[in-house]
Amino acid sequence: MQIYLPIAEMPVNIFLMIGLGAAVGFLSGMFGVGGGFILTPFLMFWGIPPAVAVATQSTQIVASSVSGVITHWRKGNVDFKMGGVLLGGGLVGSVLGIQVFNALKAAGQADLFISLSYVIFLGSVGGLMFWESLQTVRHGGSNVGSIKREPGGHYWVHGWPLKMRFQRSKLYISAIPPALLGVLIGLLAVIMGVGGGFILVPAMIYLLRMPTSIVIGTSLFQIIFVAAFSTLLHAITNQSVDAILAALLIVGGVFGAQFGIRYGERLRSDWLRLCLAALVLMICLRLGFDLVWPPADPFNLSIEGIE
Amino acid sequence: MRAIRAALVLVTALSVGFARAEDLAAGISRDKIEITSSFTGTDVVVFGAIETDEGTALPATEVRDVVVVIRSDKPYFVTVRKKERVGPIWMNREERSFAGVPGFYFLSSTRPLREIAAADVLDQFELGLDRIALGPAPGSVGGPRAFREAILRTKIGQDVYAQHEGAVSFLSGSLFRTTVALPPNVPAGNLKVIVYSFSQGQVTSSSSMTLFIDKTGIERRLSDFARYEPTLYGIVAVLLSALAGFLASLAFRQRL
Repeated sequence: MQIYLPIAEMPVNIFLMIGLGAAVGFLSGMFGVGGGFILTPFLMFWGIPPAVAVATQSTQIVASSVSGVITHWRKGNVDFKMGGVLLGGGLVGSVLGIQVFNALKAAGQADLFISLSYVIFLGSVGGLMFWESLQTVRHGGSNVGSIKREPGGHYWVHGWPLKMRFQRSKLYISAIPPALLGVLIGLLAVIMGVGGGFILVPAMIYLLRMPTSIVIGTSLFQIIFVAAFSTLLHAITNQSVDAILAALLIVGGVFGAQFGIRYGERLRSDWLRLCLAALVLMICLRLGFDLVWPPADPFNLSIEGIE
Repeated sequence: MRAIRAALVLVTALSVGFARAEDLAAGISRDKIEITSSFTGTDVVVFGAIETDEGTALPATEVRDVVVVIRSDKPYFVTVRKKERVGPIWMNREERSFAGVPGFYFLSSTRPLREIAAADVLDQFELGLDRIALGPAPGSVGGPRAFREAILRTKIGQDVYAQHEGAVSFLSGSLFRTTVALPPNVPAGNLKVIVYSFSQGQVTSSSSMTLFIDKTGIERRLSDFARYEPTLYGIVAVLLSALAGFLASLAFRQRL
């Protein structure tokens, strides 16, 4: 069954788009990632113009993240204080990011830079996480739900000033590392056009040493705002948010997220990390492959506007 | 044959878009196409008759050719980039910008174009995919042929460019028709329909009509809203998305 999209100016299969939304929502609820880095290429594969794909997937991310956060919050799995600090940093980062992005665009190599930074970030984050979680799984895993933390143990982040107590995450650390992390995520979100969940989740687990269960809810909380900001920006500057496509993706996404949460809970946290690592590595490989494999058509078109 | 001809004359008489030139009368089966939410492309018939100046049908001995062109009114700026290998990585190197790229181009003719007229005539009227006047964008240099061809290849792949030589058929000595399949992704806006009649390699007359393609109903309202109230549209999109997420989490509350 086909429906015509008013902004993309083309028809799509209703059930295909709902299914796509559901699949991405599932991953979102399970791992705390937005899923934009999967959804955008898929939409483009089905012929949706890139500008519409990027803008519209962000509305789906708002919906599935809200759906996920409320459920995680009921279970006490969202650290709003930590989320707030991350967001503050994210705001600074996105302002910086817009300037970096414009400089790259002027140099004509924004696409290459985006692909390369994806591959580098995804590859290193995914690789490290894969290795760690594989070790944990091999050694029987920890049932605590987080990577091992010595009681009262001190890490490099503990020596910094401006200490804050994050009760939900059971942390008493300086506010500087999470704020810096927020800046980095905001920067990447603007430059790469993604919510940054796939970097934020591992960083919170390994750098901030937050429990995995809290990480997912907190990441989703932060992603809501990044995606909402991105939706607004695209709607205002490009008018490229397609309401009908968004509705289809959202219908699938909000339910997919709920199933993702339920499924994620049944999975042990080390296995969850292993799965996320595998997912991140797969995306990294695909992007890397595109960079080095000879393209089917070396020419590519971009429509610059109406005369 | 007589029945078809009678029907065609009737359709011609009733047709909405009707243009008349010296010895060419042409029409389209619909002059307005409304894009609704169930739009998946549509067919339009372009038809007409060639008459002598006295208004009688052409003698069967006189060979006439007809070329039908449908193209969108608004031309686009397009940048074509070519990827080249640098070390292990394929990256964009050369780029060329073109102006005057139509969003839609469809051509249908009685015979292969090169048999109908000489190259300079075809060039003059931009007849044929390889003769669309794609100029360098202001402030840019013209590109090698390969860059131009990349535009055509991409647009043909998207079904918005097509050329069917031999698809215009004569039902009798003077009545002709051709069916145009408008793809689902036909750009909204006005399409210009031009019918050329050829005799001995020269254009003897032409007839031009407009085909309006317009979104209607919910499609129209949404795209107007997005265009004219972008800020409000964005805010509503975010709020509705959040609401949908909230409702879904409520729906699942009991089941968890």
